[in-house]
Amino acid sequence: MRLLPATLLCLAPLLWAAPKPADWVPVRWPWSDAKSLELLAGTPVNCLLLKSPTREFLAAAAERGVVTLTVVGPGESVPETKGDGIVLEGDFPSLPQVSDLVIQLTPRYKMKLGSDAPVIGTYQGVWPGISADDGGAKHSLPTSSAWIDTNTGFLRAVRAFGTAPVWLANRPPEKTVVSTARYLQVIAEAEISGARWVIAFDDDLAARLAKREEGALGAWKRMTALVGYYESHPEWREMRENGRLAVVQDPAKGGLLSGGILDMIAVKHTPVRPVAGSRLSADALAGATMAVNIEGDALTPEQKQVLRDFTRSGGMLLNGPPGWKDPTPPAGQITLDKSDLERLNDMWRDVNSLIGRRNMGVRLYNVASMLSNYLGSADGKSAVVHLLNYSDYPVESVTLHYVANFSRATLITPEGKQQKLEVYKTEEGWGVDIDRVVVCATIKLEQ
Amino acid sequence: MTRREWLALISATPLLNAAPDAPAAPVAISKCATYDEDVTGKLSTMFDQLGGIQRLVRNKTVTIKLNMTGAPSNKLQGMAPGRTHYNHPKVVGAVAYLLGKAGAKRIRFTESPWAWTGPLEDVMLDSGWNVRQLLSAAPGVEFENTNALCKRKKYARFKFPGTAYMYPEYVLNEAYEETDVFVSLAKLKQHADCGVTLSLKNCFGCVPASIYGDDAGIDEPNENPKSGRLAVVHQARRQPSKIAPPELHPGTSNTAGVRVSRVVADLAVVRPIHLAVIDGVESMAGGEGPWIRGVRPVTPGVLIAGMNPVCTDAVSTAVMGFNPRAAKGEAPFYRNADNTLTLAEAHGVGTTDLKRIEVRGVPIEQAMYRFVG
Repeated sequence: MRLLPATLLCLAPLLWAAPKPADWVPVRWPWSDAKSLELLAGTPVNCLLLKSPTREFLAAAAERGVVTLTVVGPGESVPETKGDGIVLEGDFPSLPQVSDLVIQLTPRYKMKLGSDAPVIGTYQGVWPGISADDGGAKHSLPTSSAWIDTNTGFLRAVRAFGTAPVWLANRPPEKTVVSTARYLQVIAEAEISGARWVIAFDDDLAARLAKREEGALGAWKRMTALVGYYESHPEWREMRENGRLAVVQDPAKGGLLSGGILDMIAVKHTPVRPVAGSRLSADALAGATMAVNIEGDALTPEQKQVLRDFTRSGGMLLNGPPGWKDPTPPAGQITLDKSDLERLNDMWRDVNSLIGRRNMGVRLYNVASMLSNYLGSADGKSAVVHLLNYSDYPVESVTLHYVANFSRATLITPEGKQQKLEVYKTEEGWGVDIDRVVVCATIKLEQ
Repeated sequence: MTRREWLALISATPLLNAAPDAPAAPVAISKCATYDEDVTGKLSTMFDQLGGIQRLVRNKTVTIKLNMTGAPSNKLQGMAPGRTHYNHPKVVGAVAYLLGKAGAKRIRFTESPWAWTGPLEDVMLDSGWNVRQLLSAAPGVEFENTNALCKRKKYARFKFPGTAYMYPEYVLNEAYEETDVFVSLAKLKQHADCGVTLSLKNCFGCVPASIYGDDAGIDEPNENPKSGRLAVVHQARRQPSKIAPPELHPGTSNTAGVRVSRVVADLAVVRPIHLAVIDGVESMAGGEGPWIRGVRPVTPGVLIAGMNPVCTDAVSTAVMGFNPRAAKGEAPFYRNADNTLTLAEAHGVGTTDLKRIEVRGVPIEQAMYRFVG
């Protein structure tokens, strides 16, 4: 213990140079040997979440300019050797008193939405991917279209409430060897939603990485390259959902659940803009042409007036069924239960009918296995459309139709491609064709 | 297949139920290993082998019924639908180009996509097709969704001249009436209920879901159908909307293989097919779409075309390694499927007798690709 002050003093200059929490690129680090830090060489990872770190390890990490955070769960005491801060992960009946920098990874229902916390995060997330049903088989009807389990709706709802960086810290499913493609999907899913996934290895990958197996190193390289792709475009994180369909919802209720109305709309590839009910304003609806008010009774008279003004200025409004209460997620639950889902389906049918085949900003074709996000810059001069493919196969011949007057389009991919796309006129605006998407791609639109 | 096996196949073909007067017409076969080959050149040669298509299409409106069965999102092993159960867009574009070159004044692509009454172009884009390329393939290219009225103001009535198997009259989108030439552009596939789905069965998709669909209106058509067409035609759970007459023999059968095969044979009479083109470059075996359990991708590597749909389908069935005159219960007509080809033959549409059909280009035994076994 006598060495601790001296160690901290030595580290102080490095800590001053450490990145801000908003720039932390986090990984759950399962190793305690300093040599494991070699894996970080050439990667954008700069923040490690650790259990019981040693002083030697913390010093080595600091030397590399890597932020170290010690994870503490409910019932665990805060260790003396803890690096640059503490991560309180779990459902704490009461928070321990600590003076260090604290990041909280809470259950979704306890997330401090809209707070000025350095990072808001949760350990609860669905493991994204194309949903299997029917005993593991995919849907078996001519009409079947894939349902994608996703956190994107939830992440958008959280972002609608504030500007704090959002961490999604769910872990891979237990006793499962996760393919590289699935890792890339979970990373990209958070990134295209303006959040970060706290990288966590399944046991198999962790063991193979520890042995520096070639295949595992290849997977790690691809994962970090993908993270680097998004980190090299910080401007994308600043952009906001740009769709012409606004969904007014209390993020602390239905918005915190996966599989809700936002995800239903996302699977239909309709660009949607979540608006927190408590932040409903004319500005929040600027540019929107349609709005869905999920729980009408929850709005104040002033907020209701905003919606009335919206319709008077030509906007279309769909109200939730009378008496509908957006479900408040109980502790531990992150998806809708069956009865809520059935009730929500009724509303979804109305929303679907309202949207029809309107282009709500962008319209994508041949993207059944994909999700997308349409984000715009504050000045309206540029926008991006993120594409994420959840299938095990590349998707070829994707078409994007958009309505805003962007004359230039560039396809950007994590593989390093920057290709100018031919922009052509369509009935409703403009269009571009994308030859192939492996896991993800971004179309940058500019005036 | 050896020559001996081939002779055994056609000799074993029972002709007891054959219509001796059913017309015969030549069928052209070309090998085409991949869609990267010169599909246009091969089809051009095939059309020449059939005597040319100029006389058929010059200054005419040509309607091409495509095969885009099931939702485009439904893919087999992530493959583009054109490589498994839809027409491939390269074949579609090549046919349009050749029809335009032969002088067609209007080329109208039609399909009744699953649960959709919006623009057909949307389904094409969702299938990964390049609509702009198709539009530029020939002058006068257009697209029509025929799943309901869609762009039209009224339906067209196709009365069966004589005794139909199923319905005395079929009510279809007007696009199928306002045309001079009708082309069935099909895929070389098996069908779970009907044995095979080729140029004849492809035209089952002319039947609008607004009238014959599961959610068709009782009194009036439902112009926004959101379901398929199982209840009326396949399963006899209800009659079509009252705009169309009910079936002739209600209660006779509720087996899809019996009912759909008959509707298909009737349709071949009321809406004659002038040109049948079958895309067998890549396809799937075991059924008509990814929703059928056990299907697998196959690469027969053939293109087949003919001016008579029954003859073309008979040759195509043989190319698939099946007896085109097989009876119910024999491959490929499992699951109580009646043989659509012989039903159409009995209507006098065309012969299934391979001995009467002249095959031009590649012989059947050299083009054969066994879908089973």
